[in-house]
Amino acid sequence: MQAQEDVEPTVRIREVKKDRVNFVLGNVDLAFANSLRRVMMADIPTVAIDMVEIETNTTVLPDEFIAHRLGMIPLVSANCDEAIRYTRDCICLAGCSFCSMMLELKVACDDDNTMEVTSAHLEVVPFPEEEGSQDPGEELSKRGEWFGHPVGKNDPNVPPVLITKIRKGQELKIRCIAKKAAKEHAKFSPCSAISFEYDPYNKLRHTTWWYETNVEDEWPLSENAKEEEAPRDDEPFDFNAKPNKFYFEVETDGSLGPQEVVMKVRLRPACCS
Amino acid sequence: MNAPARHESYVLEDGEKSVELTEDTKIPNAATIKIVKQDHTLGNMLRAQLLAMPQILFAGYKVPHPLHPYFIIKIQTDGTITPQEILEQACTKLIATMSNLETKFKREFSYKDVEAGGVTAAAGEDPYGTAGGAGTGAWGRGRDYLDF
Repeated sequence: MQAQEDVEPTVRIREVKKDRVNFVLGNVDLAFANSLRRVMMADIPTVAIDMVEIETNTTVLPDEFIAHRLGMIPLVSANCDEAIRYTRDCICLAGCSFCSMMLELKVACDDDNTMEVTSAHLEVVPFPEEEGSQDPGEELSKRGEWFGHPVGKNDPNVPPVLITKIRKGQELKIRCIAKKAAKEHAKFSPCSAISFEYDPYNKLRHTTWWYETNVEDEWPLSENAKEEEAPRDDEPFDFNAKPNKFYFEVETDGSLGPQEVVMKVRLRPACCS
Repeated sequence: MNAPARHESYVLEDGEKSVELTEDTKIPNAATIKIVKQDHTLGNMLRAQLLAMPQILFAGYKVPHPLHPYFIIKIQTDGTITPQEILEQACTKLIATMSNLETKFKREFSYKDVEAGGVTAAAGEDPYGTAGGAGTGAWGRGRDYLDF
């Protein structure tokens, strides 16, 4: 048990892409690795649509259906630690440009084809500033060009998110307020998936493989098995063994880059101890 | 209507103490610590760290109710150190591991940056680069469904 104490953790990044990172974490506790996973999934704040004001909705979908779909659209949240405040920390009464983003969706169909309303129709609009608000915040200058815009709006290679389809004569007029939060709702998670694996050969017997006739055929080994030594057939079970190598693949929804997701982890759980 | 504010599950209220220690009256060198606005993420990590320390006789945690945002952790030591001190040590160790990990990650990412010629650096700031605005490009893209 003590052997692990003085060993430093190791990290090896196997692959980085625009929306994902694959890495191997070593020399840490299973609980520690799992906490890392939990923090990346739930505790990293992003911006998402949180309030929806519907002026006109003559589509086939009810208001709350559309409101829910709007909330799930990932918005670019790069550097949102500095670029936007939490509404609860803001001095404003009911939302301002420092703690929220305003987006508008104004679509009407007047031709004979079915029209697709997508996240590309969402336009970021400036916040109507109330008179006399002399907020000295510098949040606005920290925002990137596309902060708060739906992910992929500036990239023709990214298909937009479909919200609804409308036909001739139908209209949608919506004003949305996007806020920064974490944990409150899954829509604030920057990750669309995190895969987490250890002990691909099941040497530790943390799981039991159910099988019909042959374990090897029915439970193909994962790619990560190449990283570890296969157990010999006559190897006795080592009940003192502990997992030591953890295989992660963090996939983001585009609101934050994978590097930002991983690097932001430390800031959060450390603040509580 | 009377739902509590959503951030109440993870943000301390004004003046709320995040840690509360109760010494055990019957067991020597034991204490129960209540940690507010935290969950399994910290609880399990802390428990595992405590168990890895030689002075610990017992460490366990529980989240009494999934809707109540706190957990309690019970610690018994061998008497060479108080539960409070060992908990502090455990936290310090975890923070040290965390910052160590952060530097390692930073270094690994910078290697990857060099390899990929800065592709990932762009991904960190603005995941979709500086391509021109598609704007309302998807307008009227509907297929030939005819209205009757």
